[in-house]
Amino acid sequence: MNLIGYACSYIPVEILSATGLHPYRLLHGAFDLSKEGERFVRVDACPMVKSNLAHVIKNQAKFAALIGSTGCDMSRRMFDILAEHTKIPVYVVNIPRTDNPAIYNDEIDWLAKQLEHFTHKELIAEMITDEISKWEARRARLRSIDIKRAAHPSLISTTDFHKLMSGYHKGALSDEITQHQDPTDKPRVYLLGSAITYEANHILQLIEEKLRIVGDFNCGLSRPLGIRIKEQSIDGVKKAYYDQAPCVYKRPHQRYYEFIKAETVRLGCTGIIAWTLDYCDVHEFELQKIENVLNLPVLRIRSDFSFQGLSQLKTRIEAFTEMLCTRI
Amino acid sequence: MYQDLTPEKISLREWSRQFRMVGDSEIRQFKYYNNDEWGIYLSPPATFMVYGSRQLKKLKFDNSLAALRLWGFTFNESERLFRARQSGKRIIAAMGDLGTVPVIALAFPDCIPFYPDCTWWTPFFNESTVLLDKASELGTPEASCFVRSTLAAFHKMAYFPKPDILFASTGASCDDYSCIMQMVEDMGYELNWLEIPFRRQRRSLHVPEEHTVAESGFEYPKRFETYLVDEYKRVWQKMEALTGTGDLEDLNASIEKNNRIRRLVNEIKDLTQTAAVAPFPALEMMIIEFGNLYGYADIDEWLDILKMIKQTIADRVEKGIGVLASDAVPLAWVTPTADPLLLNIVEDLGGRIVATEYVINQALTTIEEGIEPFHALARSFMNASLIGSTEERVRQIARGVDSGKIAGVIITNMLGCSHCAMETRLIEEKLKNVPVLAIDIPAPLGITAQLRTRITAFIEMLR
Repeated sequence: MNLIGYACSYIPVEILSATGLHPYRLLHGAFDLSKEGERFVRVDACPMVKSNLAHVIKNQAKFAALIGSTGCDMSRRMFDILAEHTKIPVYVVNIPRTDNPAIYNDEIDWLAKQLEHFTHKELIAEMITDEISKWEARRARLRSIDIKRAAHPSLISTTDFHKLMSGYHKGALSDEITQHQDPTDKPRVYLLGSAITYEANHILQLIEEKLRIVGDFNCGLSRPLGIRIKEQSIDGVKKAYYDQAPCVYKRPHQRYYEFIKAETVRLGCTGIIAWTLDYCDVHEFELQKIENVLNLPVLRIRSDFSFQGLSQLKTRIEAFTEMLCTRI
Repeated sequence: MYQDLTPEKISLREWSRQFRMVGDSEIRQFKYYNNDEWGIYLSPPATFMVYGSRQLKKLKFDNSLAALRLWGFTFNESERLFRARQSGKRIIAAMGDLGTVPVIALAFPDCIPFYPDCTWWTPFFNESTVLLDKASELGTPEASCFVRSTLAAFHKMAYFPKPDILFASTGASCDDYSCIMQMVEDMGYELNWLEIPFRRQRRSLHVPEEHTVAESGFEYPKRFETYLVDEYKRVWQKMEALTGTGDLEDLNASIEKNNRIRRLVNEIKDLTQTAAVAPFPALEMMIIEFGNLYGYADIDEWLDILKMIKQTIADRVEKGIGVLASDAVPLAWVTPTADPLLLNIVEDLGGRIVATEYVINQALTTIEEGIEPFHALARSFMNASLIGSTEERVRQIARGVDSGKIAGVIITNMLGCSHCAMETRLIEEKLKNVPVLAIDIPAPLGITAQLRTRITAFIEMLR
């Protein structure tokens, strides 16, 4: 029992790690898990939420604590259910949707205090500094790999990069997976939308048979790499996490679009893959705007993690690729 | 003088016949914005059917003059808002918080708050998918709450006038509506965003933090109030900037007036739900509850209507008469139905609604008086239905079950609605001492024989 599960990009991994527990981002998403999750929620709940529910309940002995957030409504309510069905201590942090750093700062202070109390361990400044150094180094290393993914030609596939990022999200401080260079001149696309779960690697693989994903804005992939802690203190942690490229649920969400637009230009993308999970409101509502604002061809992929329609998806990806090649 | 007949639920046609008995003086007596010239609203419900609310011909209505007033007034709202604009009043759109921002807006002269959110009933009353289709065209997912019709209403600019100012509350609320509000902003409307904090429960494992208790018994960290106070002060400042005026005494007066409505509605609910025979129908009662949000764009007239309704109900209770059979099965209803017809159906099949959780608890609790008004508003909002745990949300219903007042519970869901998807099973578990029927609200005109059969079987089983 040494995992501390968390579910949001705004939860500082440094603080979780300082407790001596092993941070583990709840990013499960597989069809069988999702079906199991339907014991606790309706069928029209987000399949990642259903999968996470099933995973945590099945593996509850491994979790010492769970840290939720108000990120999206279903995710917040997932912790209500986990508190009901497990004995794992649950802490839910208010992550403001509007620009309100005061709430965020208060809440991270609250979380730190709760974790100190829970672990009987004072989170002294040196420990935080130490964690910042470790995680910053980890992110720096991943950033250097991400640069290769973004290079012209792209040298690393997102299929491989996802495996590395999964390690980060599971709390690993070193790479357990050997990355191999795979230069390609396939059309360069940007991936955005719902989370890419641990089990979704095959989807990336399928996409990258024809295309190369050179950048992304998805939980489960490179989002944490935008976090750069400049001040070696808990205040520095709060500032860096708060100032990260904003989640699409932030209101208003102009900064999200500004960021995405700049990234697609910087990376020289010629198309967008918009990945959404069934019933993921936060991302599904954005699809039309993504098409209008980014002014690039968009391939929408909606998933419940099942393999149903895999051939159709393959054909759609092929058609999208042909279209991008024609445009080029 | 019109005399109420023996209470019963009657059809549109019957109301049209009965309306002949309503005298001219009574018709002229009831008017919105106290305007003799164009403020008269008492008319048979058929009027609104002709104007587009086709479902009215299927519904059954209470046959009292008070109910006639209620229907005339609420269906007249769209006209009223356009009249307000024409007569120089300011239109304030409150979105997402369901109950608090209008209290502030009403402290300013000639300001008319309303909730575009309430457009979610329009596709059902109109038996039309026009708004839902337009919302899809504008980019909303098919599997999302019917409240997406609000987006289409903003687009069409025909259901309410363009607001002078918009306040959009987001945070610990449902995702669908947060997304819709964002799409409204993307259309070019300028939204003032407000943050709603999550009402975190105190758990035994938590480090003690200064907590306080809301009227509904929900505990929460006291500092959350200050977040809301800051937000409400921003609303106040925006309203001051809009109107060039602002007196906190007027806010106290607005709180006092809203409290009169809230108390009156609580009394009406109490009378109705505890009477031996149901004195008033569930559909009208739902409209009464939702009036707490903003008084249907004329709070003074709404207050007067409520007084009349209360009198009608009190008379019926005293006489032991009502609109349903005395052996109707007592039910609780969780989450309001987007399709009003369902409330009629449940009653027709032998049910009686004796408790409700319509996601607007924040608008049903009274606002403290005699304390700093923004704090009072913040404390009142911390009673909100959707900002806390599911257990808190259905606590009152669970008590009703335990005391034997509730024999069954109906939960209405919308496909793709974030809180419905996550809460329904948990509600069923929390109310495990009572049978629960969860219904998915179909699209307009979608109520099938199968759904009626499920409700029939549920009520038969309870009997």
